[in-house]
Amino acid sequence: MGNTDISVLRARDFWSALALMAGSGFFLFKTAEIPFFNTANAGVRSAEWYNSAALVPYGLFSCLFLCGFGLLVVSIRDGGAARAFNAVGLAIDTAELNRIAAIAVCLLAYIAGLVPRVDFIIASALVLTALFWGFHRGQVRARWGATGLLAAPALYAFLVHTPQSEWRASDDDWVALGFWVIMVGAMLSDARRWPEGRGVAKAVAILSLVVPFLLVTAMAFGFRQNVPARSGVIFSQIELVFYTGLRPWWRATFGAPE
Amino acid sequence: MDFMFAQLAGFGTAFLHLAGDPLTYAYLIASVFLGIVFGALPGLTATLAVTILTGFFGNRVPLDQSLIALIGAYVGAIYGGSYPSILLNIPGTAASAATAMDGYPLAKKGRGGEALGLTTTASFLGTLFGTLFLLLFVWLLLAISRNIASPEKALLALFGVLLSGTLMSEDIPLKGWISGLIGLSMAMVGLDPILSENRYTFGWSYLLSGFQVVPVLMGAFAVPQIVDGLRATAMVRETPRVGRIVPSFREILRRLPVIGRSGVIGTGIGALPGVGEDVAGWVSYGVGKAASPDGERFGKGSLNGLISAEAANNAAIGGALIPLLVLGIPGSPPAAALLGALKINKVIPGPTIDPALILHIVAILVMASFTMMLMGLFTARIFILVLRIPSTVFLPIVLVLTTIGSFSVGGGINDLYLMLGVGALATLMGILKYPIAPLVIGVILGGLFDETFRRALLVSGGDMSVFVTRPGAATLLFLNFALLLSQVGPVKRGMGRLWGRAA
Repeated sequence: MGNTDISVLRARDFWSALALMAGSGFFLFKTAEIPFFNTANAGVRSAEWYNSAALVPYGLFSCLFLCGFGLLVVSIRDGGAARAFNAVGLAIDTAELNRIAAIAVCLLAYIAGLVPRVDFIIASALVLTALFWGFHRGQVRARWGATGLLAAPALYAFLVHTPQSEWRASDDDWVALGFWVIMVGAMLSDARRWPEGRGVAKAVAILSLVVPFLLVTAMAFGFRQNVPARSGVIFSQIELVFYTGLRPWWRATFGAPE
Repeated sequence: MDFMFAQLAGFGTAFLHLAGDPLTYAYLIASVFLGIVFGALPGLTATLAVTILTGFFGNRVPLDQSLIALIGAYVGAIYGGSYPSILLNIPGTAASAATAMDGYPLAKKGRGGEALGLTTTASFLGTLFGTLFLLLFVWLLLAISRNIASPEKALLALFGVLLSGTLMSEDIPLKGWISGLIGLSMAMVGLDPILSENRYTFGWSYLLSGFQVVPVLMGAFAVPQIVDGLRATAMVRETPRVGRIVPSFREILRRLPVIGRSGVIGTGIGALPGVGEDVAGWVSYGVGKAASPDGERFGKGSLNGLISAEAANNAAIGGALIPLLVLGIPGSPPAAALLGALKINKVIPGPTIDPALILHIVAILVMASFTMMLMGLFTARIFILVLRIPSTVFLPIVLVLTTIGSFSVGGGINDLYLMLGVGALATLMGILKYPIAPLVIGVILGGLFDETFRRALLVSGGDMSVFVTRPGAATLLFLNFALLLSQVGPVKRGMGRLWGRAA
């Protein structure tokens, strides 16, 4: 690491040390809720200090607080505090922040909005296409366009079917599928200007459906694991075909597994 | 001598049992292939390969079969990192960073095929070396570990976290220790292991069972890679031409002493708790540079330099499994993921581990290294093609893989929220140059540390001298303090002066 990198790092360390001290202080306060000295429940002595569930946490959070203080001292000694109060000193890169913010929105939309409620194949096709189109060329317009087209159906699913009892509804599957079609269209139209041509974009559009299809079927029927959104419009059809067609045929032809 | 023969006989039986099952080959070929692909794609790591497969196999597939896939991917990924290191000067994994020092200059001279061939052979022999050490020493250490009680276990867990923090930190060691302490603190969430006291759950019942290992691994290792790697990248259209890959037998024989030395170093470093294949590669490279007659050519395209790094990082696999199997303390980040797989299958490594399982693991390692060598020598061109896949194509697929893997292991959607939370924390820590591996090792060892530390005090009636009066505990306590003190400025400078005078 160069000298400039180190000084930027020390400026950032100033804030991370303060956050660490605040966080460990908070958890030390929360640890006080755990019985420590001579615990007694209903007149029965249940624990001494050395057996208390608070003993190790007290030690760990105290060490973390001290380490945070140590880091603060290192930061101040190396001039981090002096640089910590301006964007130049912290080397805040707005383009990088913009990129990370878009990824954060995509991850949140996919995991919190789509995966629990929308068919896994459609949800994954959306995120695969969005992350490729939005980040492959590094263009801000494509990035936020893709992020918006991913976030919109996620927001719809989240707002219309917030409680878990409504996660089986299938209208959000169709909405998400519609947005995927729009996104693929936009990506293919944009890809005409790419040097690598439309070939890569077309391959991604196909892969975005094939990969989650293979994954979810392998997971559900090969590895016999739990998969998200079993009532999704595509997965429920796969399940129907498997249990009413494929498996009876397999058992009739090769016999039932032991 | 009888002991060695008994060991070899036990290994032979396990090997034949494994080799006689056709399913073994299916799992091995698929997992070693996947591992090499993960290693070859910059941004994907061996830890991630093992973690993702842990999510897939969970506890529904018999552990015997899961281990074939997990160990196959581990061996393949550590080796696979050498492809972009040699051909593109981009380390595929941290473990193969030292490989690029000599691999890329060789490729530029048109000797890429020779470099790949020798790397493959060195990785194969290195893995076998580490496996042999594992077979021979694990029993000795298991016998010793039967005398290890709670005080020693607690101090050893702490030593693992601190050592990992010290050696894995890119910046000051303090950041590595902070990362380890955050990991240990995260392990305090949920019902405590002795009194079932509720800690830091904030009323969320999901947290009562604590942080699950698989989502934590996925969040810590996958999410930062996705955030960091999703940026505009030019597609690799051309990779350097490689000629003949299969090395001559005479060349291999000539390099055996270097491979042997690197194998010993790699196994030794791998066996240190919490220290991974990357440190093994660099240490072996440094020793090789100092010890080889052609040391001055290191960094300019030396085959000995290349072999020093590659044999060591693969030998570290066997070494990393020694503390894992003997004490339940992972020797490296991928071994931590492997421990996660053992845990979700209710296998508790340590003195009570089933001896048949150890022999099974040794047999898998041998078969995986053979598979890796055959694939490396005869299908290398496929892996060279893989290098042309842009990160914006494979990283989103990794996101989908981690999501379904994390969801399936048990906690459903809550595991995904946990993965996302840990991922955000790990990404921020990565930006601020805090190492992530100590955090994960801390989460994994936190429960053990808490339980054994308190149990030691419970047995001694609160007498802290239990950590000093037992010889093993006193030694470990000394090592912990020595490790901390060795990083304090004045002590470090004093030691540096002493070393300088001695030299």
